[in-house]
Amino acid sequence: MVNVRGIRFTACASLCLALTLPASALAQGDLSVGRKMLIEDNPGELWIDQGKALFHQKRGPKNVSLEQCDFGMGPGKLEGAAARMPRYFADTDRVEDLESRLLTCMTQLQGFDRNQLIKQAISSPASKGSDIEALALYITSRSNGMKVNVSLSHQKEYDMYKAGEYLFFRRSGQTDFGCVQCHGEPDKRIRLQDLIHMTSKAGAQEVASTWPAYRGSHFVVRTMQWRLNDCVWQMRLPDLKYATDYSIALTTYLNRQGNDAVIQVPGFKR
Amino acid sequence: MKKTTLFKWMTLAAAGAMTAGCASYPDEATTRQMAEKMVYDAFAFSPAHKGRLDQDRSQQICSKIGDAKLTQAEAAEIVKLARASIEYPASGKLYGDWKVGDRLAHDGAGDRIRNGKLENRKENGGLCQNCHALAPGEINVGNVGPSLTGYGKQRGNSEAVIKYTYEKIYNAWTYFPCSNMPRLGATKHLTPEQITHMVAYLLDPQSPINK
Repeated sequence: MVNVRGIRFTACASLCLALTLPASALAQGDLSVGRKMLIEDNPGELWIDQGKALFHQKRGPKNVSLEQCDFGMGPGKLEGAAARMPRYFADTDRVEDLESRLLTCMTQLQGFDRNQLIKQAISSPASKGSDIEALALYITSRSNGMKVNVSLSHQKEYDMYKAGEYLFFRRSGQTDFGCVQCHGEPDKRIRLQDLIHMTSKAGAQEVASTWPAYRGSHFVVRTMQWRLNDCVWQMRLPDLKYATDYSIALTTYLNRQGNDAVIQVPGFKR
Repeated sequence: MKKTTLFKWMTLAAAGAMTAGCASYPDEATTRQMAEKMVYDAFAFSPAHKGRLDQDRSQQICSKIGDAKLTQAEAAEIVKLARASIEYPASGKLYGDWKVGDRLAHDGAGDRIRNGKLENRKENGGLCQNCHALAPGEINVGNVGPSLTGYGKQRGNSEAVIKYTYEKIYNAWTYFPCSNMPRLGATKHLTPEQITHMVAYLLDPQSPINK
Protein backbone atom coordinates (compact mmCIF):
# COMPACT_ATOMS: atom_id res chain seq x y z
CA MET A 1 0.00 0.00 0.00
CA VAL A 2 1.44 3.33 -1.02
CA ASN A 3 1.37 5.89 1.69
CA VAL A 4 0.37 9.19 0.17
CA ARG A 5 0.17 11.02 3.45
CA GLY A 6 1.42 14.52 3.38
CA ILE A 7 0.54 15.12 -0.26
CA ARG A 8 -1.52 18.21 -0.68
CA PHE A 9 -3.07 18.71 -4.08
CA THR A 10 -3.28 22.44 -3.85
CA ALA A 11 -3.31 22.87 -7.57
CA CYS A 12 -5.23 21.72 -10.57
CA ALA A 13 -1.98 20.94 -12.36
CA SER A 14 -0.86 18.42 -9.76
CA LEU A 15 -4.31 16.94 -9.86
CA CYS A 16 -4.26 16.63 -13.64
CA LEU A 17 -0.83 15.12 -13.41
CA ALA A 18 -2.05 12.46 -11.03
CA LEU A 19 -5.12 11.75 -13.12
CA THR A 20 -3.36 11.47 -16.45
CA LEU A 21 -0.46 9.38 -15.21
CA PRO A 22 -0.82 5.64 -14.96
CA ALA A 23 -0.19 4.53 -11.37
CA SER A 24 2.88 2.60 -12.42
CA ALA A 25 4.53 5.70 -13.86
CA LEU A 26 3.96 7.60 -10.62
CA ALA A 27 5.41 4.73 -8.62
CA GLN A 28 8.52 4.88 -10.75
CA GLY A 29 8.73 8.57 -10.01
CA ASP A 30 8.72 9.44 -13.68
CA LEU A 31 6.82 12.69 -13.48
CA SER A 32 8.41 14.11 -16.59
CA VAL A 33 6.03 12.07 -18.74
CA GLY A 34 3.01 13.88 -17.37
CA ARG A 35 4.74 17.19 -17.64
CA LYS A 36 5.51 16.62 -21.33
CA MET A 37 1.90 15.72 -21.98
CA LEU A 38 0.83 19.05 -20.53
CA ILE A 39 3.31 21.12 -22.54
CA GLU A 40 1.63 20.17 -25.81
CA ASP A 41 -1.45 22.18 -24.99
CA ASN A 42 -0.02 25.25 -23.31
CA PRO A 43 -2.62 27.83 -22.20
CA GLY A 44 0.20 30.38 -21.99
CA GLU A 45 -0.13 30.86 -25.75
CA LEU A 46 -3.13 33.06 -25.03
CA TRP A 47 -0.89 35.66 -23.42
CA ILE A 48 1.17 36.14 -26.58
CA ASP A 49 -1.61 37.90 -28.49
CA GLN A 50 -2.38 40.01 -25.46
CA GLY A 51 1.28 41.04 -25.27
CA LYS A 52 1.39 41.82 -28.97
CA ALA A 53 -1.64 44.09 -28.70
CA LEU A 54 -0.14 45.87 -25.68
CA PHE A 55 3.11 46.36 -27.54
CA HIS A 56 1.53 48.13 -30.53
CA GLN A 57 -1.18 50.04 -28.70
CA LYS A 58 -0.67 53.71 -27.91
CA ARG A 59 -0.70 53.73 -24.13
CA GLY A 60 0.32 55.59 -21.01
CA PRO A 61 0.21 59.32 -20.19
CA LYS A 62 2.29 60.05 -23.30
CA ASN A 63 -0.01 57.94 -25.48
CA VAL A 64 2.71 56.17 -27.46
CA SER A 65 3.32 52.54 -28.33
CA LEU A 66 6.42 50.53 -27.46
CA GLU A 67 7.44 50.45 -31.12
CA GLN A 68 10.18 52.98 -30.37
CA CYS A 69 11.59 50.92 -27.51
CA ASP A 70 15.06 49.56 -28.21
CA PHE A 71 15.57 46.07 -26.79
CA GLY A 72 19.12 46.02 -28.06
CA MET A 73 18.55 45.36 -31.76
CA GLY A 74 17.24 48.82 -32.63
CA PRO A 75 13.88 50.53 -31.92
CA GLY A 76 10.99 48.10 -32.21
CA LYS A 77 13.18 45.27 -33.50
CA LEU A 78 12.20 42.21 -31.50
CA GLU A 79 13.55 39.27 -33.52
CA GLY A 80 16.27 37.68 -31.41
CA ALA A 81 16.31 40.57 -28.90
CA ALA A 82 15.30 38.55 -25.83
CA ALA A 83 17.86 35.87 -26.74
CA ARG A 84 20.62 38.39 -26.07
CA MET A 85 19.37 39.67 -22.73
CA PRO A 86 20.38 40.67 -20.14
CA ARG A 87 22.71 43.12 -21.88
CA TYR A 88 24.21 46.57 -21.48
CA PHE A 89 22.19 49.58 -22.65
CA ALA A 90 24.05 52.80 -23.27
CA ASP A 91 21.03 55.06 -22.71
CA THR A 92 20.57 53.91 -19.12
CA ASP A 93 24.23 52.95 -18.64
CA ARG A 94 23.00 49.73 -17.02
CA VAL A 95 22.78 46.04 -17.71
CA GLU A 96 19.08 45.29 -18.02
CA ASP A 97 17.09 42.10 -18.31
CA LEU A 98 13.93 42.05 -20.39
CA GLU A 99 11.67 43.05 -17.54
CA SER A 100 13.79 45.96 -16.35
CA ARG A 101 14.11 47.12 -19.96
CA LEU A 102 10.32 47.06 -20.23
CA LEU A 103 10.15 49.19 -17.08
CA THR A 104 12.61 51.65 -18.64
CA CYS A 105 10.57 52.04 -21.82
CA MET A 106 7.19 52.06 -20.14
CA THR A 107 8.30 54.87 -17.83
CA GLN A 108 10.52 56.95 -20.12
CA LEU A 109 8.68 56.42 -23.40
CA GLN A 110 5.09 55.94 -22.31
CA GLY A 111 5.19 57.93 -19.07
CA PHE A 112 3.84 55.24 -16.76
CA ASP A 113 4.61 55.52 -13.05
CA ARG A 114 7.44 53.16 -12.15
CA ASN A 115 6.16 52.28 -8.69
CA GLN A 116 2.71 51.54 -10.03
CA LEU A 117 4.15 49.27 -12.74
CA ILE A 118 6.23 47.41 -10.18
CA LYS A 119 3.26 46.99 -7.88
CA GLN A 120 1.31 45.30 -10.68
CA ALA A 121 4.20 43.47 -12.37
CA ILE A 122 3.61 40.10 -10.70
CA SER A 123 -0.06 39.24 -11.01
CA SER A 124 -2.27 37.33 -8.61
CA PRO A 125 -2.90 33.65 -9.32
CA ALA A 126 -5.90 32.95 -11.58
CA SER A 127 -6.04 36.59 -12.67
CA LYS A 128 -5.80 37.80 -16.25
CA GLY A 129 -2.13 38.53 -15.66
CA SER A 130 -0.13 41.75 -15.73
CA ASP A 131 0.83 43.87 -18.74
CA ILE A 132 4.51 43.19 -18.10
CA GLU A 133 3.95 39.43 -17.99
CA ALA A 134 2.15 39.50 -21.34
CA LEU A 135 4.69 41.86 -22.92
CA ALA A 136 7.66 39.84 -21.66
CA LEU A 137 6.14 36.70 -23.12
CA TYR A 138 5.33 38.29 -26.47
CA ILE A 139 8.78 39.79 -26.84
CA THR A 140 10.52 36.56 -25.84
CA SER A 141 8.31 34.58 -28.23
CA ARG A 142 9.81 36.66 -31.04
CA SER A 143 13.05 34.78 -30.27
CA ASN A 144 11.38 31.36 -30.45
CA GLY A 145 13.52 28.91 -32.38
CA MET A 146 16.60 31.09 -31.90
CA LYS A 147 19.59 30.38 -29.70
CA VAL A 148 20.28 32.09 -26.40
CA ASN A 149 23.27 34.31 -27.04
CA VAL A 150 24.26 36.39 -24.03
CA SER A 151 27.59 37.94 -24.89
CA LEU A 152 29.90 39.66 -22.47
CA SER A 153 31.65 42.63 -23.99
CA HIS A 154 30.95 45.73 -21.92
CA GLN A 155 32.69 45.91 -18.54
CA LYS A 156 29.32 46.12 -16.79
CA GLU A 157 28.28 42.85 -18.42
CA TYR A 158 31.37 41.14 -17.07
CA ASP A 159 30.68 42.63 -13.65
CA MET A 160 27.05 41.49 -13.71
CA TYR A 161 27.98 37.96 -14.74
CA LYS A 162 30.55 37.57 -11.97
CA ALA A 163 28.22 39.05 -9.37
CA GLY A 164 25.54 36.58 -10.47
CA GLU A 165 27.91 33.70 -10.06
CA TYR A 166 28.88 34.93 -6.58
CA LEU A 167 25.21 35.28 -5.59
CA PHE A 168 24.32 31.82 -6.88
CA PHE A 169 26.70 30.36 -4.31
CA ARG A 170 26.05 32.88 -1.49
CA ARG A 171 24.53 31.25 1.59
CA SER A 172 22.63 33.21 4.24
CA GLY A 173 19.60 33.23 6.48
CA GLN A 174 18.11 30.62 8.76
CA THR A 175 18.10 27.91 6.09
CA ASP A 176 21.75 28.51 5.16
CA PHE A 177 20.64 28.36 1.53
CA GLY A 178 22.21 29.75 -1.59
CA CYS A 179 20.84 28.74 -5.00
CA VAL A 180 23.34 25.91 -5.33
CA GLN A 181 22.03 23.99 -2.31
CA CYS A 182 18.99 22.93 -4.35
CA HIS A 183 20.26 23.40 -7.91
CA GLY A 184 23.81 22.04 -7.80
CA GLU A 185 23.26 18.34 -8.44
CA PRO A 186 21.43 16.24 -11.03
CA ASP A 187 18.15 14.37 -10.44
CA LYS A 188 17.16 16.10 -7.22
CA ARG A 189 13.70 16.91 -5.92
CA ILE A 190 12.10 18.98 -3.16
CA ARG A 191 9.24 16.68 -2.25
CA LEU A 192 7.94 15.69 -5.69
CA GLN A 193 9.14 18.82 -7.44
CA ASP A 194 12.06 18.25 -9.83
CA LEU A 195 14.93 20.70 -9.36
CA ILE A 196 16.86 21.93 -12.36
CA HIS A 197 20.58 21.14 -12.19
CA MET A 198 21.76 24.65 -12.97
CA THR A 199 25.48 24.10 -12.65
CA SER A 200 25.25 21.83 -15.68
CA LYS A 201 25.08 23.23 -19.20
CA ALA A 202 21.80 21.44 -19.95
CA GLY A 203 20.18 22.75 -16.76
CA ALA A 204 21.23 26.34 -17.36
CA GLN A 205 19.93 26.00 -20.91
CA GLU A 206 16.55 24.91 -19.60
CA VAL A 207 16.41 28.02 -17.42
CA ALA A 208 17.54 30.33 -20.21
CA SER A 209 15.06 29.10 -22.81
CA THR A 210 11.74 28.42 -21.02
CA TRP A 211 10.80 31.70 -19.29
CA PRO A 212 8.26 33.32 -19.33
CA ALA A 213 6.24 30.18 -18.66
CA TYR A 214 2.67 29.24 -17.95
CA ARG A 215 2.46 28.08 -14.38
CA GLY A 216 -0.26 25.44 -14.13
CA SER A 217 -0.88 25.86 -10.44
CA HIS A 218 -1.30 29.63 -10.75
CA PHE A 219 -3.25 29.74 -14.05
CA VAL A 220 -1.10 32.65 -15.22
CA VAL A 221 2.11 33.31 -17.11
CA ARG A 222 5.09 33.81 -14.83
CA THR A 223 8.42 35.50 -15.55
CA MET A 224 12.00 35.00 -14.39
CA GLN A 225 11.61 37.85 -11.89
CA TRP A 226 8.73 35.97 -10.33
CA ARG A 227 10.72 32.74 -10.27
CA LEU A 228 13.55 34.34 -8.30
CA ASN A 229 11.08 36.07 -6.02
CA ASP A 230 9.47 32.74 -5.13
CA CYS A 231 12.84 31.05 -4.55
CA VAL A 232 14.02 33.62 -2.03
CA TRP A 233 10.67 33.42 -0.26
CA GLN A 234 11.21 29.71 0.32
CA MET A 235 14.78 30.44 1.38
CA ARG A 236 13.30 32.67 4.12
CA LEU A 237 14.96 35.81 2.80
CA PRO A 238 13.10 39.14 3.04
CA ASP A 239 11.01 40.51 0.16
CA LEU A 240 12.95 40.71 -3.10
CA LYS A 241 12.16 43.96 -4.89
CA TYR A 242 11.26 43.82 -8.58
CA ALA A 243 13.95 44.20 -11.26
CA THR A 244 16.94 44.76 -9.01
CA ASP A 245 20.59 44.20 -9.92
CA TYR A 246 20.50 41.10 -7.69
CA SER A 247 18.04 39.35 -9.99
CA ILE A 248 19.57 40.80 -13.14
CA ALA A 249 22.97 39.46 -12.04
CA LEU A 250 21.59 35.97 -11.40
CA THR A 251 19.76 36.02 -14.74
CA THR A 252 22.90 37.18 -16.55
CA TYR A 253 24.89 34.36 -14.98
CA LEU A 254 22.30 31.68 -15.73
CA ASN A 255 21.45 32.83 -19.24
CA ARG A 256 25.09 33.13 -20.19
CA GLN A 257 25.68 29.59 -18.89
CA GLY A 258 22.65 28.59 -20.95
CA ASN A 259 23.94 30.00 -24.24
CA ASP A 260 23.00 28.05 -27.38
CA ALA A 261 19.74 26.74 -25.92
CA VAL A 262 16.89 27.09 -28.39
CA ILE A 263 14.22 29.40 -26.99
CA GLN A 264 10.71 28.01 -26.83
CA VAL A 265 8.21 30.03 -24.85
CA PRO A 266 5.86 29.97 -23.13
CA GLY A 267 7.46 27.20 -21.11
CA PHE A 268 5.22 25.09 -18.95
CA LYS A 269 5.79 24.76 -15.24
CA ARG A 270 3.98 22.84 -12.56
CA MET B 1 46.52 72.41 -34.96
CA LYS B 2 47.25 69.19 -36.73
CA LYS B 3 49.06 67.85 -33.72
CA THR B 4 46.11 68.57 -31.45
CA THR B 5 43.76 66.69 -33.75
CA LEU B 6 46.05 63.71 -33.81
CA PHE B 7 46.29 63.79 -30.03
CA LYS B 8 42.52 63.98 -29.77
CA TRP B 9 42.14 60.91 -31.95
CA MET B 10 44.73 59.01 -29.99
CA THR B 11 42.99 59.80 -26.72
CA LEU B 12 39.67 58.70 -28.17
CA ALA B 13 41.18 55.47 -29.44
CA ALA B 14 42.71 54.75 -26.07
CA ALA B 15 39.41 55.42 -24.32
CA GLY B 16 37.68 53.18 -26.84
CA ALA B 17 40.13 50.37 -26.18
CA MET B 18 39.54 50.74 -22.47
CA THR B 19 35.79 50.49 -22.72
CA ALA B 20 35.53 47.96 -25.53
CA GLY B 21 38.75 46.04 -25.95
CA CYS B 22 39.97 45.61 -22.41
CA ALA B 23 36.77 44.72 -20.59
CA SER B 24 37.30 41.62 -18.51
CA TYR B 25 36.14 39.76 -15.42
CA PRO B 26 36.53 41.79 -12.23
CA ASP B 27 38.77 40.35 -9.52
CA GLU B 28 37.37 38.49 -6.52
CA ALA B 29 37.38 41.40 -4.10
CA THR B 30 35.64 43.70 -6.58
CA THR B 31 33.05 41.04 -7.37
CA ARG B 32 32.35 40.49 -3.68
CA GLN B 33 31.97 44.21 -3.06
CA MET B 34 29.56 44.70 -5.97
CA ALA B 35 27.51 41.60 -5.23
CA GLU B 36 27.20 42.32 -1.51
CA LYS B 37 25.90 45.78 -2.31
CA MET B 38 23.37 44.21 -4.66
CA VAL B 39 22.05 42.02 -1.85
CA TYR B 40 21.29 44.94 0.46
CA ASP B 41 19.81 47.02 -2.39
CA ALA B 42 17.60 44.20 -3.61
CA PHE B 43 15.63 43.31 -0.52
CA ALA B 44 13.05 45.28 1.41
CA PHE B 45 13.71 44.39 5.01
CA SER B 46 12.94 45.57 8.50
CA PRO B 47 15.83 45.86 10.98
CA ALA B 48 14.57 42.65 12.59
CA HIS B 49 15.11 40.72 9.37
CA LYS B 50 18.41 42.18 8.26
CA GLY B 51 20.16 39.20 9.83
CA ARG B 52 18.69 37.00 7.12
CA LEU B 53 20.91 38.76 4.61
CA ASP B 54 24.05 39.07 6.74
CA GLN B 55 26.45 36.17 6.43
CA ASP B 56 28.00 34.77 9.57
CA ARG B 57 31.59 33.54 9.44
CA SER B 58 30.56 29.95 8.68
CA GLN B 59 28.24 30.97 5.85
CA GLN B 60 31.02 33.04 4.33
CA ILE B 61 33.35 30.08 4.35
CA CYS B 62 30.64 27.76 3.04
CA SER B 63 29.86 29.94 0.00
CA LYS B 64 32.66 28.59 -2.17
CA ILE B 65 32.19 29.29 -5.85
CA GLY B 66 32.06 26.42 -8.31
CA ASP B 67 34.14 23.40 -7.42
CA ALA B 68 36.42 25.24 -4.99
CA LYS B 69 37.13 23.00 -2.00
CA LEU B 70 37.31 23.78 1.71
CA THR B 71 40.82 23.86 3.08
CA GLN B 72 41.54 21.72 6.14
CA ALA B 73 41.91 24.82 8.27
CA GLU B 74 38.52 26.11 7.10
CA ALA B 75 36.83 22.79 7.79
CA ALA B 76 38.35 22.77 11.27
CA GLU B 77 37.07 26.29 11.90
CA ILE B 78 33.57 25.34 10.77
CA VAL B 79 33.51 22.36 13.12
CA LYS B 80 34.77 24.48 16.00
CA LEU B 81 32.12 27.16 15.41
CA ALA B 82 29.45 24.51 15.03
CA ARG B 83 30.39 22.78 18.30
CA ALA B 84 30.30 26.09 20.12
CA SER B 85 26.83 26.85 18.73
CA ILE B 86 25.06 23.84 20.16
CA GLU B 87 22.64 24.41 23.01
CA TYR B 88 20.79 21.67 24.80
CA PRO B 89 17.23 21.82 26.14
CA ALA B 90 16.79 23.13 29.66
CA SER B 91 15.45 19.74 30.76
CA GLY B 92 18.66 18.05 29.61
CA LYS B 93 16.45 15.43 27.92
CA LEU B 94 17.42 14.96 24.26
CA TYR B 95 14.72 12.39 23.48
CA GLY B 96 11.22 13.83 23.10
CA ASP B 97 7.89 12.62 21.70
CA TRP B 98 8.13 10.85 18.34
CA LYS B 99 4.55 11.74 17.45
CA VAL B 100 5.31 15.44 17.70
CA GLY B 101 8.51 14.83 15.74
CA ASP B 102 6.53 13.02 13.03
CA ARG B 103 4.29 16.05 12.59
CA LEU B 104 7.23 18.46 12.56
CA ALA B 105 9.16 16.35 10.05
CA HIS B 106 6.25 16.67 7.62
CA ASP B 107 5.83 20.40 8.10
CA GLY B 108 7.69 22.60 5.60
CA ALA B 109 6.26 25.95 6.63
CA GLY B 110 7.19 28.73 9.01
CA ASP B 111 8.99 32.06 9.07
CA ARG B 112 8.64 32.95 5.40
CA ILE B 113 8.18 36.64 4.63
CA ARG B 114 5.78 38.11 2.10
CA ASN B 115 5.02 41.82 1.76
CA GLY B 116 6.92 42.47 4.94
CA LYS B 117 4.77 40.09 6.95
CA LEU B 118 6.07 37.04 8.72
CA GLU B 119 4.14 33.83 8.14
CA ASN B 120 1.71 33.55 11.02
CA ARG B 121 2.56 30.25 12.69
CA LYS B 122 2.69 28.94 16.23
CA GLU B 123 5.98 27.21 15.46
CA ASN B 124 8.22 26.48 12.49
CA GLY B 125 8.07 23.20 10.63
CA GLY B 126 11.05 20.86 10.69
CA LEU B 127 11.39 20.82 6.86
CA CYS B 128 12.69 17.17 6.82
CA GLN B 129 10.20 15.92 4.21
CA ASN B 130 11.39 18.51 1.69
CA CYS B 131 14.74 16.77 1.31
CA HIS B 132 14.65 13.33 2.95
CA ALA B 133 12.77 10.08 2.42
CA LEU B 134 10.98 9.33 5.71
CA ALA B 135 8.60 6.44 6.55
CA PRO B 136 8.53 3.51 4.10
CA GLY B 137 6.08 4.03 1.24
CA GLU B 138 5.81 7.80 1.52
CA ILE B 139 6.16 9.19 -1.99
CA ASN B 140 5.86 12.94 -1.44
CA VAL B 141 9.43 13.27 -0.20
CA GLY B 142 12.53 14.95 -1.55
CA ASN B 143 15.95 13.48 -2.25
CA VAL B 144 18.33 16.40 -1.82
CA GLY B 145 19.51 14.72 1.37
CA PRO B 146 19.98 11.00 2.06
CA SER B 147 17.06 8.71 2.89
CA LEU B 148 16.20 8.53 6.59
CA THR B 149 14.00 5.45 6.22
CA GLY B 150 14.95 2.98 8.95
CA TYR B 151 17.31 5.51 10.53
CA GLY B 152 16.81 4.19 14.07
CA LYS B 153 16.58 0.56 13.03
CA GLN B 154 20.10 0.81 11.64
CA ARG B 155 21.59 2.69 14.57
CA GLY B 156 19.67 1.71 17.68
CA ASN B 157 18.95 4.37 20.30
CA SER B 158 21.91 4.35 22.63
CA GLU B 159 22.90 7.53 24.50
CA ALA B 160 25.70 8.12 21.99
CA VAL B 161 23.34 7.83 19.01
CA ILE B 162 20.80 10.12 20.68
CA LYS B 163 23.45 12.77 21.31
CA TYR B 164 24.88 12.49 17.79
CA THR B 165 21.42 12.76 16.22
CA TYR B 166 20.50 15.77 18.33
CA GLU B 167 23.73 17.55 17.45
CA LYS B 168 23.45 16.62 13.78
CA ILE B 169 20.03 18.26 13.55
CA TYR B 170 21.01 21.21 15.72
CA ASN B 171 24.06 21.97 13.61
CA ALA B 172 24.76 19.60 10.73
CA TRP B 173 28.10 21.29 10.09
CA THR B 174 29.48 19.80 13.34
CA TYR B 175 29.85 16.54 11.48
CA PHE B 176 29.65 17.60 7.83
CA PRO B 177 31.20 21.05 7.39
CA CYS B 178 29.31 23.14 4.81
CA SER B 179 26.86 20.37 3.92
CA ASN B 180 23.63 21.47 2.22
CA MET B 181 21.64 20.82 5.39
CA PRO B 182 20.49 23.93 7.27
CA ARG B 183 21.90 24.34 10.79
CA LEU B 184 18.35 24.12 12.07
CA GLY B 185 19.05 24.76 15.74
CA ALA B 186 21.99 27.10 15.38
CA THR B 187 20.09 29.45 13.04
CA LYS B 188 17.10 29.36 15.42
CA HIS B 189 14.80 27.88 12.83
CA LEU B 190 13.95 25.20 15.40
CA THR B 191 14.04 25.26 19.19
CA PRO B 192 16.03 22.70 21.20
CA GLU B 193 12.72 21.15 22.37
CA GLN B 194 11.49 20.70 18.79
CA ILE B 195 14.73 18.96 17.94
CA THR B 196 14.30 16.46 20.79
CA HIS B 197 10.97 15.42 19.24
CA MET B 198 12.64 14.92 15.88
CA VAL B 199 15.34 12.82 17.54
CA ALA B 200 12.63 10.56 18.94
CA TYR B 201 10.89 10.41 15.56
CA LEU B 202 14.13 9.20 13.97
CA LEU B 203 15.11 6.72 16.69
CA ASP B 204 12.01 5.34 18.39
CA PRO B 205 11.18 1.74 17.44
CA GLN B 206 7.49 2.76 17.46
CA SER B 207 8.07 5.59 14.96
CA PRO B 208 6.74 4.96 11.41
CA ILE B 209 10.20 5.75 10.06
CA ASN B 210 11.50 2.50 11.63
CA LYS B 211 8.58 0.31 10.62
